[in-house]
Amino acid sequence: MGETAEVLIIGAGASGAVAAKHLAEAGVGVVCLEQGRQVEASEFYGDKTEWELMSQRLWHPNPNVRGLATDYPIDTSESDVNPLMFAGVGGSTLIYAAHWQRFMPSDFRVKSLDGVADDWPFTYRDLEPFYDHMDVEMGVSGLAGDPAYPPMTPPPLPPLPIGKIGRLAAKGMNDLGWHWWPAPQAIPSRAYRGRSQCARRGTCMQGCPEQAKASTDLTHWPDAIANGAQLITGARVREITVNAQGLASGAIWIDRDGVEHHQRAEKVIVCANGVGTPRLLLLSGGDRFAGGLGNSSGLVGRNLMMHPYAATVGYFDEPLDSWLGPAGQAIHSMQFYETDKSRGFVRGAKWNAMPTGGPLGMRSAYGGAPLEEAWGENLHRATQKRFGHSFEWGIIAEDLPDPENRVVLDDSLTDTDGIPSPKIIYRNSENTEKLIAFHLERQREAMEAAGAKSISTTTLMRDCGWHLMGTCRMGNDPETSVLDQWGTSHDVPNLHVLDGSTFVTSSGFNPTATICAIALRSVMHMIETRADQRVAS
Amino acid sequence: MSTLSDSRRAALNTIGDVLIPAALGMPCFTDAGDVDAMVDHVLSLRRELTDGLNQALDRVGAEEEAAAAAERLNRDDPDGLATIGLVASSAYYMMPEVRRIMGYRGQEQRPATADEEHDYMRDGLLQPVIDRGPIFRDPDGD
Ligand SMILES: Cc1cc2nc3c(=O)[nH]c(=O)nc-3n(C[C@H](O)[C@H](O)[C@H](O)COP(=O)(O)OP(=O)(O)OC[C@H]3O[C@@H](n4cnc5c(N)ncnc54)[C@H](O)[C@@H]3O)c2cc1C
Ligand code: SF4
Repeated sequence: MGETAEVLIIGAGASGAVAAKHLAEAGVGVVCLEQGRQVEASEFYGDKTEWELMSQRLWHPNPNVRGLATDYPIDTSESDVNPLMFAGVGGSTLIYAAHWQRFMPSDFRVKSLDGVADDWPFTYRDLEPFYDHMDVEMGVSGLAGDPAYPPMTPPPLPPLPIGKIGRLAAKGMNDLGWHWWPAPQAIPSRAYRGRSQCARRGTCMQGCPEQAKASTDLTHWPDAIANGAQLITGARVREITVNAQGLASGAIWIDRDGVEHHQRAEKVIVCANGVGTPRLLLLSGGDRFAGGLGNSSGLVGRNLMMHPYAATVGYFDEPLDSWLGPAGQAIHSMQFYETDKSRGFVRGAKWNAMPTGGPLGMRSAYGGAPLEEAWGENLHRATQKRFGHSFEWGIIAEDLPDPENRVVLDDSLTDTDGIPSPKIIYRNSENTEKLIAFHLERQREAMEAAGAKSISTTTLMRDCGWHLMGTCRMGNDPETSVLDQWGTSHDVPNLHVLDGSTFVTSSGFNPTATICAIALRSVMHMIETRADQRVAS
Repeated sequence: MSTLSDSRRAALNTIGDVLIPAALGMPCFTDAGDVDAMVDHVLSLRRELTDGLNQALDRVGAEEEAAAAAERLNRDDPDGLATIGLVASSAYYMMPEVRRIMGYRGQEQRPATADEEHDYMRDGLLQPVIDRGPIFRDPDGD
């Protein structure tokens, strides 16, 4: 049915948008299928009194809590961590915090340096020009010269102020002689390419009502569409189809009236994120590719990494306006990022100093504790202690790839179209637990040095699977990887994956700058080698 | 539109004042303004809370002493108590009077001014970090 697309992209989030824009600008005919819809800035609650109320449901990052028809439910009964995401034009960038972090050079050489996991099939230097390019497309605000990185091209915009919380955190770090730096963010400190200057509302993780934050519905889709890309929303893909030659030939999708369509394509790029992509590949392939499309390695869905998140909150006497945005991070630290084996574990974590939000907090989580602990006079005491007087040091803990941590198809759960849901099987490793324990101890020291009057810690937040990585890993060896270094399937030469599934290791950084840089590098390669590629006729 | 029956609303207000009493300069739940209207507003936006709230409120006896009722509910039906607490505190922290006392204008617009930027450069806060130099491993550096 319909015309054959030169390229079919599945998923209109971060990676799908980058691919669509650059392919369309190069004159490639693009169709993108997205299960979610276009979301307008006026739908976000950040500029409304009801912001916190709605962030617990409609704008919650966990699709199982939102329960929207556009989401697919996820079985998390065997997972320590809940995967988080959003379905729509812009995908999870609609609700991401926009920490815009590059990996460090050592992240691409984990096996060589630390003897664990694997090296990536390319280096930091290979990716660097694409990081630079993405900084400009997203409108990154930041300060050049961070000694945690090799010298790099300054981002296009000056850094956002670090504010009272950033200064307090920084003073503590200075006392200890520890690294910190004004954090890079995909949030414009000045009006930029049609987006507003950040108004510091601090509601970035429930959508930016100011149209400031760099979500790809704003940064990439308008250009992609202006250059001819066709974006079909409400289009839920249930299977990637394969032709007699074993090439991907398109996808079957279901519209919101329940009608099935077949979009034919010469080439298919899957950008459905680290959970949605393996789900779709496992649903596809038929008899010819038993066990899932592109899965001769058996690694589709395996090696899921989600960055277990732990945090330390410090409470201070002085007013810190700690509801002021951006919600993501004022400063970051890589003091304990690189491996030091004397600590009893390998790898490390980035820290981010963050505001603590509005007065409501998570009151619903208190049911069952002694009444007077959470309510009565103590409610006021706790609110006065936290609200406006606290900040959080968060830990993005690097979890190592483990084939047992995985996405599989669920036996009974389905989405509203009857398509099997993903099930997550994920346990924290001993290395992760030791890593988190060490970092929490150091954060306590950092909070004390900053002058905190009291401190609380969260050893593992369950709703923390913001970063979905590793489930279709890249590599040079088809037996130990799903994709080559350009995101092309080892098994199916016209099938590509460009989202966080491609990651070989997770690093201790928020992944989207790297997802986008990899997507851009792969797409540029695709465009350059266009004449030589095998495509479905 | 009123979403709660009179008896349930009375129970909510009773338990609400136990959970959110007048203390530390803050008003109790029912003294925070027109909380009835705000509760209706909360429930209109979060309809999924209504059934659980009604069930929990139906467990509160009309003659029961307020604090004892809250204690009993927390023991026998912690989820129900949590729902009452969520509805009451959500409404409470949206009340203009409560926000005024707390000095909270909501997630306000406060774009940065130029003098807030780079203050750590001007006063030398960042200098020690710069002076200590690189802290990364560079396996493929020049
Ligand atoms: C609350 C939150 C905060 C975050 N904060 C940060 C941060 O500060 N910094 C950072 O780097 N990262 C952050 N992230 C992660 C970031 O959002 C993701 O890394 C990024 O969006 C992933 O891009 P993607 O292209 O892989 O997938 P996504 O952006 O998730 O897009 C995938 C798209 O595919 C669609 N899709 C899936 N399956 C199908 C199907 N079968 N048919 C049709 N469409 C389908 C989905 O609807 C979705 O729109 C955060 C995420 C969350 C949830
Ligand atoms: S802090 Fe800035 S980016 Fe975040 S929601 Fe507010 S205006 Fe948008």
